Amino acid sequence: MGDLLFNITDWMRGTVLLDWAFWMQETAFSLFMVENFWNVPIAQAIHILSIGAAFGSVLMVVLRVNGMAGAGLTFEQTAARFVPWVRWGLVVIVLSGLSMIMAEPVRNMINAVFWIKMIALIAMVLVSLSWIKSIRATAQAAGVGYVGTGGAKATGWLIMALWCLIIVCGRWIAYVPV
Amino acid sequence: MYYPEPTTIWESIQYSPLGIFIAESTWAFPTIETIHVIALVTVLGTIFVMDLRLLGVASKNYPITSMSRDTLKWTWGGFILAAITGTLLYISKTSSYMINPFFMGKMALLAIAGLNMAYFHSVTWKTVAEWDTSPVVPTGAKVAGITSLLFWITIVFFGRAIGFTLGIYDCYMVGQGDDGFVVSLLAGMACGGA
Repeated sequence: MGDLLFNITDWMRGTVLLDWAFWMQETAFSLFMVENFWNVPIAQAIHILSIGAAFGSVLMVVLRVNGMAGAGLTFEQTAARFVPWVRWGLVVIVLSGLSMIMAEPVRNMINAVFWIKMIALIAMVLVSLSWIKSIRATAQAAGVGYVGTGGAKATGWLIMALWCLIIVCGRWIAYVPV
Repeated sequence: MYYPEPTTIWESIQYSPLGIFIAESTWAFPTIETIHVIALVTVLGTIFVMDLRLLGVASKNYPITSMSRDTLKWTWGGFILAAITGTLLYISKTSSYMINPFFMGKMALLAIAGLNMAYFHSVTWKTVAEWDTSPVVPTGAKVAGITSLLFWITIVFFGRAIGFTLGIYDCYMVGQGDDGFVVSLLAGMACGGA
């Protein structure tokens, strides 16, 4: 596994990604991120806090679909409470993530695990959007008694697993052989 | 690899077979750290949900007892997992953590956040039947909510700061310059006997 990831990273070194990373490294924002010792840890703390807010909100929606939380609430009420926190949480996650990429462009852009993380992130967003849409189509008639079908419940846990995979990749960007 | 004879209790922990294994293994520390992060975002996420309800910011019409029932088991499950993984990370670099102000600050804040939660659940919670379904909660519950948010935000920042400052504080460097009050204080405990 380590060899495969290293070979992918090594291949990336020969692509235009390296030129982009070098260009990013010279931007004023990148220099700003590295000139103060605390900028990167602060960006990382904001990143983790927004992941916490979004992750907890997704968990509450998944639990509602599984009939394990939000008793007495319709699916729509649960979604109205938590989906905006996921959406805005993701905005802060992306912005703080971008500032971390700008701080260390080569370490991130020339890294197989970083791109696996990006693919997993896009997959998670697409699966979540279609999941919410399909539940909305059926949940309204059931009202407060709504509980998801077997497929809806399983997809909810798949979304949680994708979040965990993204977190795993996020941590291993720092440790994978490059 | 050669390790010096431990001179403090912290070094004895760090140079234990488990401590050495976690420190030397290529995969153990990152794997434990990853589980720590997943556990802590579970704790954070569920605490935020409860705190925002207490502050009257969100879920205003959802009973507080129901919210507590939905979130608390996940908060505790995540916390126990974070504590176990955190302890394993601690074992691998015990003496460095003991003199790190951010690590000790994080431990102190965790203790205070725990006391805050214990006070809320044992004292403020007694009258919950009166405000369970009300969007407006008593001041005591609001204070518990806002302080919990502030403590956890600071705990996350301190947690991240530990990773960036591990090489900065070291028993071997204490006493060779101006250490500052906090580091001198911690050195008394962390470097005793060295």
